[in-house]
Amino acid sequence: MLSRSSAFRQFLREGEASFRRNGLMTVAAVTTVTVALLTVGFAIAGGLNLSHLAATLNTQVEIVAFLRDGMRPAEVTRTQTAIAEITGVAAVHFVSRAEALARLERRLGASPAFADLAKHNPLPDSFDVRVRDARLTGAVAGALQGQPGVEDVTYAAQVVDRLVAVTRVMRLMALLLTVALSAVAVIVVTNTLRLTVIARWREIEIMELVGATRWFIRWPFLIEGMLQGLVAAVAAGTVLLLLYALAAARLRTGLPFLPMVPAIDLAAPLLIAMIGCGVALGAAGSFVAVRRFLST
Amino acid sequence: MVQLQRVSKIYPSGLTALTDISLRIDRGEFVFVVGPTGSGKSTLLKLLYRAELPTHGRVLVYGRDVGRLRAGTVAGLRRTLGVVFQDFKLLPQRTALENVAFALRVTGTPTSELIPRALQALDRVGLAHRREAVPAELSGGEQQRVSIARALVHDPPLLLADEPTGNLDPDSSWGIMQLLSRINLRGTTVIVTTHNKAIVDVLRQRVVQLADGRVARDQRQGLYAVPV
Repeated sequence: MLSRSSAFRQFLREGEASFRRNGLMTVAAVTTVTVALLTVGFAIAGGLNLSHLAATLNTQVEIVAFLRDGMRPAEVTRTQTAIAEITGVAAVHFVSRAEALARLERRLGASPAFADLAKHNPLPDSFDVRVRDARLTGAVAGALQGQPGVEDVTYAAQVVDRLVAVTRVMRLMALLLTVALSAVAVIVVTNTLRLTVIARWREIEIMELVGATRWFIRWPFLIEGMLQGLVAAVAAGTVLLLLYALAAARLRTGLPFLPMVPAIDLAAPLLIAMIGCGVALGAAGSFVAVRRFLST
Repeated sequence: MVQLQRVSKIYPSGLTALTDISLRIDRGEFVFVVGPTGSGKSTLLKLLYRAELPTHGRVLVYGRDVGRLRAGTVAGLRRTLGVVFQDFKLLPQRTALENVAFALRVTGTPTSELIPRALQALDRVGLAHRREAVPAELSGGEQQRVSIARALVHDPPLLLADEPTGNLDPDSSWGIMQLLSRINLRGTTVIVTTHNKAIVDVLRQRVVQLADGRVARDQRQGLYAVPV
Protein backbone atom coordinates (compact mmCIF):
# COMPACT_ATOMS: atom_id res chain seq x y z
CA MET A 1 0.00 0.00 0.00
CA LEU A 2 0.97 3.55 -0.64
CA SER A 3 1.70 5.31 2.61
CA ARG A 4 -1.20 7.46 3.70
CA SER A 5 0.57 10.77 3.68
CA SER A 6 2.12 10.24 0.27
CA ALA A 7 -1.26 9.23 -1.20
CA PHE A 8 -2.79 12.30 0.36
CA ARG A 9 -0.05 14.53 -1.03
CA GLN A 10 -0.73 13.08 -4.45
CA PHE A 11 -4.49 13.74 -4.16
CA LEU A 12 -3.73 17.24 -3.01
CA ARG A 13 -1.39 17.86 -5.92
CA GLU A 14 -3.89 16.58 -8.49
CA GLY A 15 -6.77 18.47 -6.96
CA GLU A 16 -4.75 21.64 -6.97
CA ALA A 17 -3.45 21.10 -10.52
CA SER A 18 -6.99 20.61 -11.81
CA PHE A 19 -8.07 23.72 -9.93
CA ARG A 20 -5.53 25.73 -11.92
CA ARG A 21 -6.21 23.98 -15.27
CA ASN A 22 -9.94 24.64 -15.47
CA GLY A 23 -9.38 28.34 -14.93
CA LEU A 24 -12.47 30.03 -16.30
CA MET A 25 -15.01 27.50 -15.09
CA THR A 26 -13.35 27.47 -11.71
CA VAL A 27 -13.61 31.24 -11.52
CA ALA A 28 -17.29 30.96 -12.41
CA ALA A 29 -17.92 28.34 -9.75
CA VAL A 30 -15.95 30.18 -7.09
CA THR A 31 -17.76 33.42 -7.93
CA THR A 32 -21.17 31.79 -7.70
CA VAL A 33 -20.36 30.11 -4.42
CA THR A 34 -18.96 33.42 -3.18
CA VAL A 35 -22.21 35.21 -4.02
CA ALA A 36 -24.25 32.44 -2.42
CA LEU A 37 -22.09 32.52 0.70
CA LEU A 38 -22.26 36.32 0.76
CA THR A 39 -26.03 36.23 0.82
CA VAL A 40 -25.95 33.53 3.45
CA GLY A 41 -23.45 35.64 5.37
CA PHE A 42 -25.63 38.73 5.16
CA ALA A 43 -28.53 36.69 6.44
CA ILE A 44 -26.38 35.39 9.31
CA ALA A 45 -25.03 38.87 10.14
CA GLY A 46 -28.53 40.34 9.96
CA GLY A 47 -29.91 37.55 12.10
CA LEU A 48 -27.17 37.94 14.70
CA ASN A 49 -27.81 41.67 14.89
CA LEU A 50 -31.54 41.22 15.25
CA SER A 51 -30.94 38.73 18.02
CA HIS A 52 -28.55 41.17 19.63
CA LEU A 53 -31.07 43.98 19.26
CA ALA A 54 -33.85 41.83 20.65
CA ALA A 55 -31.72 40.71 23.56
CA THR A 56 -30.71 44.29 24.35
CA LEU A 57 -34.25 45.56 24.12
CA ASN A 58 -35.52 42.59 26.06
CA THR A 59 -33.51 43.58 29.07
CA GLN A 60 -34.32 47.23 28.55
CA VAL A 61 -38.08 46.88 28.36
CA GLU A 62 -39.49 48.63 31.37
CA ILE A 63 -42.97 48.69 32.74
CA VAL A 64 -43.98 51.68 34.82
CA ALA A 65 -46.53 51.11 37.54
CA PHE A 66 -47.96 54.40 38.82
CA LEU A 67 -49.11 54.49 42.43
CA ARG A 68 -52.11 56.31 43.78
CA ASP A 69 -51.42 59.41 45.80
CA GLY A 70 -50.92 59.42 49.51
CA MET A 71 -49.60 55.91 50.14
CA ARG A 72 -47.75 55.39 53.37
CA PRO A 73 -44.10 54.21 53.11
CA ALA A 74 -45.01 50.86 54.70
CA GLU A 75 -47.68 50.30 52.03
CA VAL A 76 -45.20 51.20 49.30
CA THR A 77 -42.67 48.71 50.69
CA ARG A 78 -45.31 45.98 50.87
CA THR A 79 -46.31 46.59 47.23
CA GLN A 80 -42.68 46.59 46.15
CA THR A 81 -42.12 43.19 47.80
CA ALA A 82 -45.24 41.81 46.15
CA ILE A 83 -44.12 43.07 42.72
CA ALA A 84 -40.67 41.58 43.13
CA GLU A 85 -42.30 38.18 43.62
CA ILE A 86 -44.23 38.28 40.33
CA THR A 87 -42.88 35.69 37.89
CA GLY A 88 -40.75 37.31 35.19
CA VAL A 89 -39.83 40.41 37.16
CA ALA A 90 -36.09 41.03 37.09
CA ALA A 91 -35.93 44.19 39.22
CA VAL A 92 -38.21 46.73 40.86
CA HIS A 93 -37.06 50.24 41.46
CA PHE A 94 -39.04 52.80 43.40
CA VAL A 95 -39.19 56.20 41.77
CA SER A 96 -40.51 58.95 44.01
CA ARG A 97 -42.43 61.86 42.52
CA ALA A 98 -39.46 64.11 43.22
CA GLU A 99 -37.11 61.76 41.40
CA ALA A 100 -39.53 61.48 38.49
CA LEU A 101 -39.62 65.23 38.24
CA ALA A 102 -35.84 65.42 38.30
CA ARG A 103 -35.64 62.92 35.43
CA LEU A 104 -38.15 64.93 33.46
CA GLU A 105 -36.14 68.03 34.03
CA ARG A 106 -33.00 66.32 32.78
CA ARG A 107 -34.80 65.21 29.69
CA LEU A 108 -36.52 68.49 28.86
CA GLY A 109 -33.87 70.83 30.11
CA ALA A 110 -34.53 73.84 32.29
CA SER A 111 -37.17 76.09 30.81
CA PRO A 112 -39.54 78.67 32.21
CA ALA A 113 -42.45 76.32 31.74
CA PHE A 114 -40.66 73.69 33.76
CA ALA A 115 -40.07 75.97 36.70
CA ASP A 116 -43.81 76.46 36.91
CA LEU A 117 -44.33 72.71 36.80
CA ALA A 118 -41.88 72.13 39.60
CA LYS A 119 -43.90 74.23 41.99
CA HIS A 120 -46.87 71.89 41.78
CA ASN A 121 -45.33 68.54 40.94
CA PRO A 122 -48.10 66.64 39.09
CA LEU A 123 -46.20 63.35 38.90
CA PRO A 124 -47.18 60.35 41.05
CA ASP A 125 -44.86 57.94 42.80
CA SER A 126 -44.09 54.93 40.63
CA PHE A 127 -42.18 51.68 40.27
CA ASP A 128 -39.88 50.96 37.34
CA VAL A 129 -40.22 47.24 36.74
CA ARG A 130 -37.66 45.44 34.55
CA VAL A 131 -38.75 42.19 32.95
CA ARG A 132 -36.46 39.22 32.46
CA ASP A 133 -37.75 38.54 28.92
CA ALA A 134 -39.72 40.86 26.65
CA ARG A 135 -42.18 38.10 25.86
CA LEU A 136 -43.31 38.14 29.51
CA THR A 137 -44.09 41.86 29.39
CA GLY A 138 -47.82 41.45 28.83
CA ALA A 139 -48.26 38.94 31.64
CA VAL A 140 -46.22 40.97 34.10
CA ALA A 141 -48.15 44.13 33.23
CA GLY A 142 -51.41 42.28 33.88
CA ALA A 143 -50.19 41.04 37.25
CA LEU A 144 -49.02 44.54 38.20
CA GLN A 145 -52.47 45.91 37.55
CA GLY A 146 -53.83 43.84 40.40
CA GLN A 147 -51.35 45.00 43.03
CA PRO A 148 -52.68 47.13 45.91
CA GLY A 149 -52.00 50.80 45.36
CA VAL A 150 -51.17 50.45 41.62
CA GLU A 151 -53.31 52.87 39.72
CA ASP A 152 -52.06 52.57 36.20
CA VAL A 153 -49.53 50.48 34.22
CA THR A 154 -47.84 51.50 30.99
CA TYR A 155 -45.25 49.83 28.76
CA ALA A 156 -44.20 49.93 25.14
CA ALA A 157 -46.45 47.03 24.27
CA GLN A 158 -46.43 47.31 20.51
CA VAL A 159 -42.70 47.82 20.20
CA VAL A 160 -42.03 44.69 22.17
CA ASP A 161 -44.60 42.59 20.34
CA ARG A 162 -43.39 43.72 16.94
CA LEU A 163 -39.78 43.10 17.84
CA VAL A 164 -40.57 39.55 18.91
CA ALA A 165 -42.51 38.91 15.70
CA VAL A 166 -39.92 40.49 13.41
CA THR A 167 -37.13 38.50 14.97
CA ARG A 168 -39.02 35.27 14.42
CA VAL A 169 -39.81 36.09 10.77
CA MET A 170 -36.23 37.19 10.07
CA ARG A 171 -34.82 34.01 11.54
CA LEU A 172 -37.15 31.92 9.41
CA MET A 173 -36.35 33.89 6.27
CA ALA A 174 -32.63 33.64 6.89
CA LEU A 175 -32.99 29.89 7.29
CA LEU A 176 -35.03 29.47 4.10
CA LEU A 177 -32.66 31.72 2.15
CA THR A 178 -29.68 29.77 3.42
CA VAL A 179 -31.20 26.45 2.39
CA ALA A 180 -32.21 27.70 -1.07
CA LEU A 181 -28.85 29.30 -1.79
CA SER A 182 -26.97 26.26 -0.57
CA ALA A 183 -28.94 24.16 -3.04
CA VAL A 184 -28.04 26.58 -5.84
CA ALA A 185 -24.39 26.51 -4.81
CA VAL A 186 -24.33 22.71 -4.86
CA ILE A 187 -25.81 22.69 -8.37
CA VAL A 188 -23.27 25.22 -9.65
CA VAL A 189 -20.31 23.42 -8.11
CA THR A 190 -21.63 20.13 -9.46
CA ASN A 191 -21.86 21.52 -12.97
CA THR A 192 -18.43 23.09 -12.88
CA LEU A 193 -16.84 19.95 -11.59
CA ARG A 194 -18.74 17.87 -14.10
CA LEU A 195 -16.66 19.58 -16.78
CA THR A 196 -13.51 18.67 -14.90
CA VAL A 197 -14.77 15.14 -14.57
CA ILE A 198 -15.70 14.94 -18.25
CA ALA A 199 -12.24 16.19 -19.15
CA ARG A 200 -10.84 13.29 -17.21
CA TRP A 201 -13.44 10.62 -18.03
CA ARG A 202 -10.90 8.51 -19.89
CA GLU A 203 -8.66 8.50 -16.87
CA ILE A 204 -11.57 7.61 -14.60
CA GLU A 205 -12.62 4.81 -16.95
CA ILE A 206 -9.12 3.33 -16.94
CA MET A 207 -8.79 3.73 -13.20
CA GLU A 208 -12.00 1.77 -12.76
CA LEU A 209 -10.87 -0.91 -15.22
CA VAL A 210 -7.52 -1.52 -13.58
CA GLY A 211 -9.08 -1.72 -10.14
CA ALA A 212 -8.73 1.67 -8.47
CA THR A 213 -11.16 1.99 -5.58
CA ARG A 214 -14.00 4.46 -5.86
CA TRP A 215 -12.61 6.56 -3.03
CA PHE A 216 -9.23 6.71 -4.71
CA ILE A 217 -10.95 8.09 -7.82
CA ARG A 218 -13.13 10.49 -5.84
CA TRP A 219 -10.55 12.13 -3.61
CA PRO A 220 -8.90 14.49 -6.12
CA PHE A 221 -12.32 15.78 -7.18
CA LEU A 222 -13.47 16.16 -3.60
CA ILE A 223 -10.33 18.09 -2.78
CA GLU A 224 -10.84 20.31 -5.80
CA GLY A 225 -14.44 21.03 -4.78
CA MET A 226 -13.42 21.74 -1.20
CA LEU A 227 -10.65 24.08 -2.40
CA GLN A 228 -13.19 25.99 -4.48
CA GLY A 229 -15.47 26.22 -1.46
CA LEU A 230 -12.62 27.38 0.76
CA VAL A 231 -11.52 30.11 -1.65
CA ALA A 232 -15.12 31.26 -2.07
CA ALA A 233 -15.65 31.29 1.70
CA VAL A 234 -12.55 33.37 2.36
CA ALA A 235 -13.49 35.81 -0.41
CA ALA A 236 -17.07 36.13 0.76
CA GLY A 237 -16.02 36.41 4.40
CA THR A 238 -13.54 39.19 3.63
CA VAL A 239 -16.01 41.19 1.54
CA LEU A 240 -18.75 40.72 4.09
CA LEU A 241 -16.65 41.77 7.08
CA LEU A 242 -15.34 44.84 5.24
CA LEU A 243 -18.85 45.91 4.26
CA TYR A 244 -20.09 45.17 7.74
CA ALA A 245 -17.36 47.17 9.43
CA LEU A 246 -18.09 50.11 7.12
CA ALA A 247 -21.84 49.89 7.70
CA ALA A 248 -21.37 49.52 11.45
CA ALA A 249 -19.16 52.62 11.56
CA ARG A 250 -21.73 54.63 9.59
CA LEU A 251 -24.60 53.45 11.76
CA ARG A 252 -22.75 54.11 14.98
CA THR A 253 -22.49 57.80 14.11
CA GLY A 254 -25.92 58.02 12.45
CA LEU A 255 -27.99 55.93 14.82
CA PRO A 256 -25.97 55.70 18.03
CA PHE A 257 -28.83 54.21 20.07
CA LEU A 258 -29.03 51.17 17.75
CA PRO A 259 -27.07 48.35 19.34
CA MET A 260 -24.92 46.51 16.74
CA VAL A 261 -22.69 43.51 17.12
CA PRO A 262 -19.12 44.83 16.65
CA ALA A 263 -17.40 43.56 13.48
CA ILE A 264 -14.61 42.04 15.57
CA ASP A 265 -17.07 39.90 17.53
CA LEU A 266 -18.76 38.88 14.30
CA ALA A 267 -15.57 37.88 12.46
CA ALA A 268 -14.76 34.54 14.06
CA PRO A 269 -18.21 32.91 14.08
CA LEU A 270 -19.00 34.23 10.62
CA LEU A 271 -15.74 33.08 9.04
CA ILE A 272 -15.96 29.67 10.68
CA ALA A 273 -19.56 29.26 9.52
CA MET A 274 -18.78 30.38 5.98
CA ILE A 275 -15.68 28.24 5.60
CA GLY A 276 -17.61 25.29 6.96
CA CYS A 277 -20.48 25.94 4.54
CA GLY A 278 -18.15 26.56 1.59
CA VAL A 279 -16.08 23.42 2.09
CA ALA A 280 -19.21 21.32 2.68
CA LEU A 281 -20.85 22.75 -0.45
CA GLY A 282 -17.74 22.06 -2.53
CA ALA A 283 -17.46 18.50 -1.27
CA ALA A 284 -21.16 17.83 -1.85
CA GLY A 285 -21.03 19.28 -5.35
CA SER A 286 -18.02 17.25 -6.43
CA PHE A 287 -19.39 14.08 -4.85
CA VAL A 288 -22.53 14.41 -6.96
CA ALA A 289 -20.51 15.25 -10.08
CA VAL A 290 -18.25 12.19 -9.83
CA ARG A 291 -21.02 9.80 -8.86
CA ARG A 292 -22.51 9.88 -12.34
CA PHE A 293 -19.24 8.77 -13.86
CA LEU A 294 -18.57 5.90 -11.53
CA SER A 295 -20.20 2.87 -13.08
CA THR A 296 -19.85 0.57 -10.12
CA MET B 1 -11.42 -20.43 -13.64
CA VAL B 2 -14.52 -19.01 -15.34
CA GLN B 3 -18.00 -20.43 -15.30
CA LEU B 4 -21.26 -19.13 -16.70
CA GLN B 5 -24.38 -20.90 -15.47
CA ARG B 6 -27.53 -20.33 -17.56
CA VAL B 7 -26.66 -16.68 -18.02
CA SER B 8 -28.97 -14.27 -19.80
CA LYS B 9 -28.41 -10.56 -20.30
CA ILE B 10 -31.20 -8.22 -21.28
CA TYR B 11 -30.20 -4.55 -21.41
CA PRO B 12 -32.55 -1.93 -19.91
CA SER B 13 -33.40 -0.88 -23.47
CA GLY B 14 -34.97 -4.31 -23.94
CA LEU B 15 -32.18 -5.60 -26.17
CA THR B 16 -31.41 -9.25 -25.46
CA ALA B 17 -27.65 -9.74 -25.71
CA LEU B 18 -27.23 -13.23 -24.27
CA THR B 19 -29.73 -16.04 -23.77
CA ASP B 20 -29.19 -18.99 -21.47
CA ILE B 21 -25.42 -19.30 -21.86
CA SER B 22 -23.59 -22.02 -19.97
CA LEU B 23 -19.84 -22.16 -20.38
CA ARG B 24 -16.83 -23.39 -18.46
CA ILE B 25 -13.27 -22.24 -19.08
CA ASP B 26 -10.44 -23.91 -17.19
CA ARG B 27 -7.10 -22.63 -15.96
CA GLY B 28 -4.57 -22.24 -18.75
CA GLU B 29 -7.02 -22.35 -21.64
CA PHE B 30 -6.92 -20.10 -24.69
CA VAL B 31 -10.42 -19.41 -25.97
CA PHE B 32 -11.59 -17.53 -29.05
CA VAL B 33 -15.10 -16.15 -28.84
CA VAL B 34 -16.32 -15.57 -32.41
CA GLY B 35 -19.54 -14.51 -34.04
CA PRO B 36 -20.97 -11.61 -36.02
CA THR B 37 -21.28 -8.10 -34.62
CA GLY B 38 -24.13 -7.98 -32.10
CA SER B 39 -23.94 -11.67 -31.29
CA GLY B 40 -23.07 -10.90 -27.66
CA LYS B 41 -19.28 -11.38 -27.60
CA SER B 42 -18.48 -8.10 -25.87
CA THR B 43 -21.34 -8.53 -23.41
CA LEU B 44 -19.91 -11.90 -22.45
CA LEU B 45 -16.55 -10.31 -21.54
CA LYS B 46 -18.24 -7.39 -19.78
CA LEU B 47 -19.99 -9.85 -17.49
CA LEU B 48 -16.59 -11.31 -16.55
CA TYR B 49 -15.00 -8.01 -15.51
CA ARG B 50 -18.30 -6.86 -14.09
CA ALA B 51 -18.96 -3.92 -16.33
CA GLU B 52 -22.41 -5.48 -16.68
CA LEU B 53 -24.47 -7.65 -14.38
CA PRO B 54 -26.31 -10.76 -15.63
CA THR B 55 -30.10 -10.51 -15.80
CA HIS B 56 -30.44 -14.22 -15.03
CA GLY B 57 -27.98 -16.92 -14.05
CA ARG B 58 -24.61 -16.83 -12.32
CA VAL B 59 -21.19 -15.70 -13.50
CA LEU B 60 -18.32 -17.22 -11.53
CA VAL B 61 -14.76 -15.90 -11.84
CA TYR B 62 -12.17 -17.68 -9.72
CA GLY B 63 -15.18 -19.40 -8.10
CA ARG B 64 -16.69 -16.11 -6.93
CA ASP B 65 -20.14 -15.01 -8.00
CA VAL B 66 -19.31 -11.77 -9.77
CA GLY B 67 -22.95 -10.65 -9.83
CA ARG B 68 -23.08 -10.67 -6.06
CA LEU B 69 -19.89 -8.72 -5.39
CA ARG B 70 -20.45 -5.69 -3.23
CA ALA B 71 -19.59 -2.44 -4.99
CA GLY B 72 -16.55 -2.00 -2.76
CA THR B 73 -14.98 -5.31 -3.81
CA VAL B 74 -15.26 -4.80 -7.57
CA ALA B 75 -11.93 -2.98 -7.53
CA GLY B 76 -10.38 -6.09 -5.95
CA LEU B 77 -11.72 -8.30 -8.76
CA ARG B 78 -10.42 -5.95 -11.45
CA ARG B 79 -6.89 -6.10 -10.03
CA THR B 80 -6.87 -9.84 -10.66
CA LEU B 81 -8.03 -9.45 -14.28
CA GLY B 82 -6.33 -7.99 -17.29
CA VAL B 83 -8.59 -6.35 -19.86
CA VAL B 84 -7.55 -5.25 -23.36
CA PHE B 85 -9.75 -3.31 -25.78
CA GLN B 86 -9.99 -2.64 -29.49
CA ASP B 87 -9.36 1.08 -28.91
CA PHE B 88 -6.43 0.53 -26.51
CA LYS B 89 -7.75 3.05 -23.95
CA LEU B 90 -4.37 4.68 -23.38
CA LEU B 91 -3.91 8.15 -21.89
CA PRO B 92 -2.68 10.29 -24.79
CA GLN B 93 -0.55 12.69 -22.75
CA ARG B 94 1.43 10.00 -20.97
CA THR B 95 4.31 7.92 -22.17
CA ALA B 96 4.12 4.17 -22.64
CA LEU B 97 5.86 3.65 -19.32
CA GLU B 98 3.56 6.09 -17.51
CA ASN B 99 0.49 4.43 -19.00
CA VAL B 100 1.56 1.08 -17.60
CA ALA B 101 2.67 2.55 -14.28
CA PHE B 102 -0.67 4.35 -14.02
CA ALA B 103 -2.43 1.02 -13.40
CA LEU B 104 -0.04 0.34 -10.54
CA ARG B 105 -0.17 3.83 -9.10
CA VAL B 106 -3.95 4.09 -8.87
CA THR B 107 -4.12 0.76 -7.09
CA GLY B 108 -1.81 1.90 -4.31
CA THR B 109 1.51 0.32 -5.35
CA PRO B 110 4.51 1.76 -3.48
CA THR B 111 6.17 4.49 -5.54
CA SER B 112 9.52 2.72 -5.53
CA GLU B 113 8.02 -0.33 -7.29
CA LEU B 114 6.19 1.60 -10.03
CA ILE B 115 8.97 2.00 -12.58
CA PRO B 116 10.65 -1.42 -12.21
CA ARG B 117 7.37 -3.31 -12.47
CA ALA B 118 6.06 -1.18 -15.37
CA LEU B 119 9.35 -1.67 -17.22
CA GLN B 120 9.19 -5.40 -16.66
CA ALA B 121 5.66 -5.49 -18.11
CA LEU B 122 6.75 -3.42 -21.13
CA ASP B 123 9.64 -5.81 -21.60
CA ARG B 124 7.24 -8.75 -21.69
CA VAL B 125 5.46 -7.22 -24.69
CA GLY B 126 8.78 -6.26 -26.31
CA LEU B 127 8.43 -2.52 -25.96
CA ALA B 128 10.94 -1.62 -23.25
CA HIS B 129 12.90 0.44 -25.82
CA ARG B 130 9.81 2.58 -26.60
CA ARG B 131 9.03 3.45 -23.00
CA GLU B 132 9.37 7.21 -23.46
CA ALA B 133 7.05 7.40 -26.50
CA VAL B 134 3.54 8.81 -26.13
CA PRO B 135 0.70 6.90 -27.84
CA ALA B 136 0.66 9.23 -30.87
CA GLU B 137 4.29 8.28 -31.60
CA LEU B 138 3.49 4.56 -31.51
CA SER B 139 1.95 2.40 -34.25
CA GLY B 140 -1.42 0.76 -33.62
CA GLY B 141 0.24 -2.55 -32.88
CA GLU B 142 2.66 -0.91 -30.45
CA GLN B 143 -0.19 0.91 -28.70
CA GLN B 144 -2.01 -2.38 -28.26
CA ARG B 145 1.17 -3.89 -26.81
CA VAL B 146 1.31 -1.08 -24.27
CA SER B 147 -2.28 -1.78 -23.30
CA ILE B 148 -1.44 -5.48 -22.95
CA ALA B 149 1.52 -4.57 -20.78
CA ARG B 150 -0.81 -2.51 -18.62
CA ALA B 151 -3.21 -5.46 -18.38
CA LEU B 152 -0.35 -7.77 -17.36
CA VAL B 153 1.28 -5.49 -14.82
CA HIS B 154 -0.74 -6.97 -11.95
CA ASP B 155 0.17 -10.53 -13.08
CA PRO B 156 -3.46 -11.54 -13.55
CA PRO B 157 -4.33 -15.24 -13.89
CA LEU B 158 -6.93 -14.24 -16.49
CA LEU B 159 -6.56 -11.94 -19.50
CA LEU B 160 -9.61 -10.72 -21.41
CA ALA B 161 -9.18 -9.18 -24.85
CA ASP B 162 -12.16 -7.59 -26.62
CA GLU B 163 -11.39 -7.43 -30.37
CA PRO B 164 -7.71 -6.67 -29.72
CA THR B 165 -6.89 -6.67 -33.44
CA GLY B 166 -10.01 -4.85 -34.60
CA ASN B 167 -8.11 -1.65 -35.41
CA LEU B 168 -4.88 -3.24 -36.64
CA ASP B 169 -3.41 -4.19 -40.01
CA PRO B 170 -2.83 -7.92 -40.65
CA ASP B 171 0.87 -7.89 -39.71
CA SER B 172 0.28 -6.11 -36.43
CA SER B 173 -2.73 -8.34 -35.73
CA TRP B 174 -0.59 -11.38 -36.18
CA GLY B 175 2.02 -10.00 -33.80
CA ILE B 176 -0.57 -9.27 -31.13
CA MET B 177 -2.10 -12.77 -31.40
CA GLN B 178 1.35 -14.34 -31.12
CA LEU B 179 1.96 -12.26 -28.04
CA LEU B 180 -1.32 -13.38 -26.50
CA SER B 181 -0.42 -16.99 -27.29
CA ARG B 182 2.96 -16.58 -25.59
CA ILE B 183 1.29 -15.09 -22.53
CA ASN B 184 -1.05 -18.09 -22.50
CA LEU B 185 1.87 -20.50 -22.71
CA ARG B 186 3.29 -18.98 -19.53
CA GLY B 187 0.11 -20.04 -17.71
CA THR B 188 -2.30 -17.15 -18.08
CA THR B 189 -5.84 -18.03 -19.13
CA VAL B 190 -6.72 -15.94 -22.19
CA ILE B 191 -10.19 -15.18 -23.60
CA VAL B 192 -10.24 -13.29 -26.91
CA THR B 193 -13.20 -12.08 -28.92
CA THR B 194 -12.37 -11.63 -32.58
CA HIS B 195 -13.50 -11.36 -36.17
CA ASN B 196 -10.11 -12.41 -37.49
CA LYS B 197 -10.77 -15.63 -39.36
CA ALA B 198 -7.22 -16.15 -40.60
CA ILE B 199 -5.71 -16.04 -37.14
CA VAL B 200 -8.34 -18.28 -35.54
CA ASP B 201 -7.87 -20.84 -38.28
CA VAL B 202 -4.08 -20.88 -37.90
CA LEU B 203 -3.88 -21.00 -34.10
CA ARG B 204 -6.42 -23.86 -33.77
CA GLN B 205 -7.49 -23.06 -30.24
CA ARG B 206 -10.84 -23.64 -28.54
CA VAL B 207 -13.55 -21.70 -30.38
CA VAL B 208 -16.85 -20.62 -28.83
CA GLN B 209 -19.16 -19.35 -31.53
CA LEU B 210 -22.04 -17.11 -30.53
CA ALA B 211 -25.11 -16.50 -32.67
CA ASP B 212 -28.00 -14.30 -31.53
CA GLY B 213 -26.77 -14.46 -27.94
CA ARG B 214 -26.60 -18.27 -27.77
CA VAL B 215 -23.66 -20.66 -27.95
CA ALA B 216 -23.88 -22.06 -31.46
CA ARG B 217 -20.66 -24.10 -31.26
CA ASP B 218 -17.96 -24.89 -28.69
CA GLN B 219 -15.08 -26.75 -30.29
CA ARG B 220 -11.55 -27.72 -29.21
CA GLN B 221 -8.88 -26.83 -31.80
CA GLY B 222 -11.68 -25.26 -33.79
CA LEU B 223 -11.82 -23.18 -36.91
CA TYR B 224 -13.44 -19.76 -37.28
CA ALA B 225 -16.37 -21.31 -39.06
CA VAL B 226 -17.53 -24.88 -39.60
CA PRO B 227 -16.24 -25.99 -43.01
CA VAL B 228 -19.06 -26.61 -45.41
